[in-house]
This record gives sequence, C-alpha cells and structure tokens, in this order.
Amino acid sequence: MKLLLTAAVALASLTTALPAFADKLDDIIASGTLRCAVVLDFPPMGSRDANNNPIGFDVDTCNDLAKVLGVTAEIVETPFPDRIPALVSGRVDVGVASTSDTLERAKTVGFSIPYFAFEMVVLTKDGLGIADYDSLKGKKVGSTSGTYEAIALEKSVNEWADPAGSFRSYQTQADVMLALSQGQIDATVVTSTVAGSTIATGNFPGFVMGGKAPYEIDYVGLIALREEQGLLNYLNLFVNQQIRTGRYAELYKKWVGDGEAPNLTVPGVYY
Amino acid sequence: MFNYTFHWRPAFQALPHMLSGAVVTLQIAILSMIIGVAIGVLLALMSGSGNKIFRGIASTWIEIARNTPALFQIYMAYFGLGQFGIHLDSFVALLAGIAFNNAGYLAETFRGGLRVVPATQVRAARSLGLGSVSAFRLIVLPQMFRAVFYPMTNQMVWAILMTSLGVVVGLNTDLTGVTQELNVKTFRTFEYFALAAVLYYLIAKAVTLGARAFAYRLFRY
Repeated sequence: MKLLLTAAVALASLTTALPAFADKLDDIIASGTLRCAVVLDFPPMGSRDANNNPIGFDVDTCNDLAKVLGVTAEIVETPFPDRIPALVSGRVDVGVASTSDTLERAKTVGFSIPYFAFEMVVLTKDGLGIADYDSLKGKKVGSTSGTYEAIALEKSVNEWADPAGSFRSYQTQADVMLALSQGQIDATVVTSTVAGSTIATGNFPGFVMGGKAPYEIDYVGLIALREEQGLLNYLNLFVNQQIRTGRYAELYKKWVGDGEAPNLTVPGVYY
Repeated sequence: MFNYTFHWRPAFQALPHMLSGAVVTLQIAILSMIIGVAIGVLLALMSGSGNKIFRGIASTWIEIARNTPALFQIYMAYFGLGQFGIHLDSFVALLAGIAFNNAGYLAETFRGGLRVVPATQVRAARSLGLGSVSAFRLIVLPQMFRAVFYPMTNQMVWAILMTSLGVVVGLNTDLTGVTQELNVKTFRTFEYFALAAVLYYLIAKAVTLGARAFAYRLFRY
C-alpha cells in the first residue's frame, strides 16, 4: 500500500515537474489544421482557377502534407516578400512557397530538403533583339522582389555596370508581366515553368523565351521555423516519400507537363 | 508565441546602404513638395478665378488627388500611362504621383490661406500704385505662406511617408526599396524594418523641427 502511494506521488510529481512540451508538429496535429503559406501568382506552382479557388503544384503539395498529418489544409495566400513574416508571426505553420534554399535565408528559417527545382530562362518580347542572357547587358530588366532569379539578375546587372541598363523589382509576378508587356522593362528572368505557362495563356502576345539564364539550379524547399526540428524532420521525410511513391512525378505531369521531373539530388555530395 | 532572435550586428552593417536610401527618399519628398507648392498655388488661384474652364480644371485635379488613394495615383502614373506607351521611370512615376497628390491637398490649404488676407489690403496696395502681379507677390503671397506654413510642414512629412509606396512601381533605391531588398535576401524582416522605421521617424522629426526653426526666423511678428 505504501509502495503504491509512493509510486502515485512519484508519478504525480513527475508529470507536474515535466511541463507538457508540445512542439509545432504536436500543435498542428492537435489543432486539426495545417496552415500553408502559398504564393498564388506563380503558376503553375500556385494560382487561382476560374472560381477563385487556389490551385497548383504547391497547393496540391500542401494538401498531401495535410492528408498524411491527418488534418485539413488551409491555404494562406502569401506574396513572395511576406513569406517569412507570415511564418515568424505565426500566421502559417509551413511555407509551401517555392522558397530557394539560400544560406543567407537559412540563418532565419529552417529548410526541408528540396521538393522542387527550377531552371531560369529569359522572357522577353519579339523584336527587341534579345536572344540570350548576355544580350540583357545594357537593357532595362526587372523581376519579382524576393525571388532567386531577382537576386541573381540584379547581381548580373550590377556586375555589367552598364549605365544604359537598369534593374527594377516588382512586388508581384503579375506586375512584372504587366511591366514587360507595356515596355517598362525589356526582359525579365523567370522560371521555365512560369515562362511556359505565361506564354501558354495567350494573354501576352509577343512574349518569347530568350534562352536559358546561366544560374545554378534553383532548388526550393519547404520552410518552417528554424528551431522546429521535429516538424522539419517530418517535412524531410514527407518530401522523400513524395518522390519515392511517385507522387512528385505525378504532380509534375499534372501541373508542368510531360517530360522528366527535375532531379532533386546534387551529385557528388551528401545532403 | 513570438520566438525570434534578433540579429542586430549584420543589420547595422547594412546601415550605410539604408542611409543612401534615406537620401533618395528625402530627394523625392523635397522635389515633390517644390512641384506640389508651385502647382498648388496655381490651382488655388484657378479655383478662385472667374474663368469656368480654370475652375473646372482645378476642381477636377483637387477632387481626384484628395479622394483617391496615393497608391492608386502612383500606380496610374506608372502602369496607367504605360498602357498608352508613356514610360515613366519608377523614380519619376513616384515623384509625379506624390507631386500630383501634394498639389491637390496644398491647393485646398492655399485656398484657405488666401482668405486670410483681406481684400482691402489688395485694394490698398493697388491704390498705392502696385500692379496686380506685384500686389499678389509682395502683399498676398507672403502672408498666405505664413498662414499655411504649418499645414505645409504636415504635407511634407506626409510626402516623406508616401515615398514608401515606390516599391509598388519597382523602385528599389529609396529607403523602403532598399529595406525590402535586404529583407528578401536575408529574411531578417524585423531588424531591417525596425531600422527603417527609426530612419523615417528621424527624417520626419528633423523636417518638423527644421520647419519650426525656419518659421521662427521668417514669420516672427
């Protein structure tokens, strides 16, 4: 009897002494909702359909993640520059927002292993004489603020240091396309997926691709708060499983089209 | 919970870059005020004139400038005119948008300021042999500027804060533009925006204090 009592007291003190520490992964499962930051003017990764519902590769990825977590997905539309504030201020749990995994950013947020990779191409208009990346020298160029290609393009413009050339960064992809169609800029650099789907819409007659941009492949990861290791582990395994089960290839086919989905491994190195 | 560790050291390293952005901000604000005051005086005179066309132009300008968002005016100067093949540079579009807005607000301020000067003064000046232009320039205008000086300072501060809208038309050299670029490269949003807020505060405060000293020298009775 005395032993039982001691055990009960010990158990009680143990449970009170150790505060229930719920991390983000626990919180998401307990709340029943996974809130994903998704950029919705970045087709085919994220956009809206005719009924204004969010669609795209990133939206489906978020839904898949919610499904395996056993919760419902909530898509929170987030412009590119606002992804991290949304995450840090706790308005979203995870960013499924084509976020390039730069070392600079990894000081602030935690990245999963890459879940997609982009190749960059020059997008320009007919008759401007822009055939490849080097002919952008001395031209007015612009891109979406906060994207991998914007950072790389601005760096090139600064290196060329041609007084006739300029770089502008716009807040949304839509504004970049508007600026290009009006002639405010002569060219932009976008992912091949965006270039393809923008030309395919037929909304912008005269848009043509002007060759590949010689950047390193832009690997993008899912993002979560840096210290949420439990959640980041889960995200890594989730990405791994997406590819292992063929879901990645399936989503690529659905949103980007036929052809080989980008290889997400870097040869010659451990992750 | 708010769990975020501030990285101030790298943020302070970007301070010179942000200060050069603050200079651009101040440039745009000052230029937009000079243009705004010039057009504002004209609009105030036009709205008080007997000519119907002048009155129409002035009231249209004032109505649009005061009753639509500054964001919309700047966006129109850039993408609106761009639709018609008129390509303003981001800097010029922002300047045009703010100057347009300033002129509209200041015109109303000046209209009130003109009422301060009694018509009898103009008549007295004319009877002493001053022409209508010199009577306006030497008698009315100085007194009007004294009456509207503090509202003008307000508009100046407002113009400084409005320059932050330049990011929507692709401006990346002013204080907000520079801050936003640093933000997207590093994701250290809170540090850079806090620094930018302090810089905006200091600029605005310097303008108000400077204006007060200026007014003390110029307008003391």
